[in-house]
Amino acid sequence: MNASATPPSLWTPNPELDLVLERDIDVPRGLVWDVWTTPKHLEKWFCPKPWYTTDIVMDLRPGGEFSSVMHGPGGEVMPNKGCCLEVVHQERLVFTDTLLAGFRPSPKPFFTAVVTLQSLGEGRTRYIAMARHGEASTRKQHEEMGFHHGWGAALDQLVALAKTL
Amino acid sequence: MPTSQATVDGVFRALADPTRRSVLQRLCASPASVSELAAPFDMALPSFVQHMRVLERCGLVRSSKRGRVRTFTVEPKRLKQAEDWLAVQRRLWEQRLNQLDTYLLQLHAQRQSDASEH
Repeated sequence: MNASATPPSLWTPNPELDLVLERDIDVPRGLVWDVWTTPKHLEKWFCPKPWYTTDIVMDLRPGGEFSSVMHGPGGEVMPNKGCCLEVVHQERLVFTDTLLAGFRPSPKPFFTAVVTLQSLGEGRTRYIAMARHGEASTRKQHEEMGFHHGWGAALDQLVALAKTL
Repeated sequence: MPTSQATVDGVFRALADPTRRSVLQRLCASPASVSELAAPFDMALPSFVQHMRVLERCGLVRSSKRGRVRTFTVEPKRLKQAEDWLAVQRRLWEQRLNQLDTYLLQLHAQRQSDASEH
């Protein structure tokens, strides 16, 4: 593990503000890294359907731009602007929208994401995605984007699922 | 205290049915008896009562009986909990990572079959 990497003690999640999702997959770490860090791959999975992403910019270095535009089924257009904070090849990716490219403070901060990859051997990978949210910013962004998007998507999926039963 | 995932899942499962969604909308206006709630639906009463049990079990509605009349009232607190922003974010990430896993497995299989052709 990279000796100069941010120590794990700084990553203790707060259950009221943070999400931690962990998965194991039968795919080599290099491929998982590529799919997380290449715009042409990201646009295939990053956006929960029926929303989709375009105009992904990913400059893989601290302060490098990480932005995209999300499009909704009702014609909604939602630009996301942020930057990369830490990039350790095939190991860790940290990005945020609390800072824009070049570390410029953002007017609308919402989250920071930490993605770590571990090789489990035999072509298997464990990846951990942590989303960290701030105190005051959550409600506002929630109303503007996350809530309508997440709730709407979840309910629509439920409706679609219910129709198949 | 953050809402348990099981609680949120229970609410979503209850909401997955159009009859139950319709009933919930009706109850948001005011409390109502079973017969009043069942009236708009072309459904045998026992089937309808089953729906009400699902809604009650997940805490979206509560009921009380006076004489032979059972009256239902909506519990807005439970609906608000399901709307809890962090639960919504979690769903978003779960879906995102499901899509990632599907894409990764497809891509990996494709690359392996491309490689074996040479």
